[in-house]
Amino acid sequence: MLQWLGEAVVLFARTLVAIRLRARDRHRIVVQLARIGSETLPIAALLALFIGMVLVVQSADQLREVSQSVLGPIVGLAMTKEIGPVMMGFLLAGRAGSAMAAELGSMAVYDELAALRTMDIDPVRFLVMPRMLAATIAMPVLVLYADFVGIAGGALVIAVDPAIHLAVSEYLARLLEWVKLGDVVVGLVKGAVFGTVASVVPCAFGLATRGGAEGIAASTTAAVVWSFVLILLVDLVIVRLTFGLT
Amino acid sequence: MAAPPHGVAVALRGVRKAYDRQVVLAGVDLQVAPGELVAIVGQSGQGKSVLLRQVIGLETPDAGEIAVGGLPLPRWLALPPEEKPFRIAMVFQNAELLASLTVAENVALRLEEHGRLSRAALRDVVGRVLASVDLAGVEDKRPGELSGGMRKRVGIARALASEPELILYDEPTADLDPLLTEQIAALIARIRRERGTTQLIVTHNLALARVIADRIAVLDAGRIVEYSTPEALRASPTPLVRELLRAAALGI
Repeated sequence: MLQWLGEAVVLFARTLVAIRLRARDRHRIVVQLARIGSETLPIAALLALFIGMVLVVQSADQLREVSQSVLGPIVGLAMTKEIGPVMMGFLLAGRAGSAMAAELGSMAVYDELAALRTMDIDPVRFLVMPRMLAATIAMPVLVLYADFVGIAGGALVIAVDPAIHLAVSEYLARLLEWVKLGDVVVGLVKGAVFGTVASVVPCAFGLATRGGAEGIAASTTAAVVWSFVLILLVDLVIVRLTFGLT
Repeated sequence: MAAPPHGVAVALRGVRKAYDRQVVLAGVDLQVAPGELVAIVGQSGQGKSVLLRQVIGLETPDAGEIAVGGLPLPRWLALPPEEKPFRIAMVFQNAELLASLTVAENVALRLEEHGRLSRAALRDVVGRVLASVDLAGVEDKRPGELSGGMRKRVGIARALASEPELILYDEPTADLDPLLTEQIAALIARIRRERGTTQLIVTHNLALARVIADRIAVLDAGRIVEYSTPEALRASPTPLVRELLRAAALGI
């Protein structure tokens, strides 16, 4: 584990050094942004909607004897600070990250990376940099999107479920009262960091791929699993660092 | 009439390479003159491709020295692209075009990344080199839409686009039918005639090597066992060379 972690950290540092924003680099970033968007947005909506709904139903059940008026703060804080960023991080790693590992792995196995090197083209600048920047930029947007859809999912259940005795207006009013701008910002920062993790880790595994189709499959699986693990680890660190701040 | 040499000299001295104690190159010495077309032949698994990858810096020798254009290879590799006094290009066995790019984007890639050519100038270069490999009109196709022979020719066009002083070919005619092999051979011969580029070709096809190469190096067990002109090679007493000549005569 320490070896791949070291490789991922080195790749991250090399990618930072390789950042260039010439017109063709910006074009590559936009292409990656479009890919990430098309791969994740529909599933992000579905996931966030159901998680928002389940959160409300589950919490309402627990709060039956107390007060369901805290449903808004529960859904709002959970979505913005924790579930939104982590869920989107997992989604990015599973959808776009796995594609990155497979694509770069295939390029490594079939000598396309070698072809780039023979043309004096740095694969980190050409391939990793646009992917990392695109994922880092896309994630806060995805998190915000998931926050809204999740909160809307909760409101939808409150509106139609007769077992929940709470007006949608009160749900939203209490939510806005409790969820501060700082909570949203922490979630967005987490999103950006998870976006970096969910792109650099798959790229590191992809670039290190050896062997044929088996090697590509192994890299892709490992990239997703270790992205999940690292996202949770980084999440814990960020939660601890921002403890008491919001 | 052949063009004045636009190429660079290549010199290998005592190049050794082993993987997990298995020796692949056991001390290779090779001198290639500017503008010369040298073929390295040998049986499969004798380290021909490994040798080529050392010359362009994709792999590092365990021992020995490689110099191109009089410059030690590590020094050339360390230079930023814009400061390199000459360019080296490689044509891979399966062309290794980037599948996500069009033919035109593949061909223009090196120039686009390092050059300051306008889009119009890039289009001109792409059109010209594709025409030179008889592939005009395929600019917008993806590599997946091309046949194996077309992909190889796009690989050669990609190499030619940056006007390199040295071109390395890894099995340029492997898996091609005789007609396509002849096409590629004619193309390589034309590059030598018109541009005077130094070319180093790795192949197991001795018949091809005898037709296009100025000199042929025979690699066996990680060493060059014969290095001579195609004519002189015919009189070689080396057993492997005799075997290869016999197989080539049979058309195998």
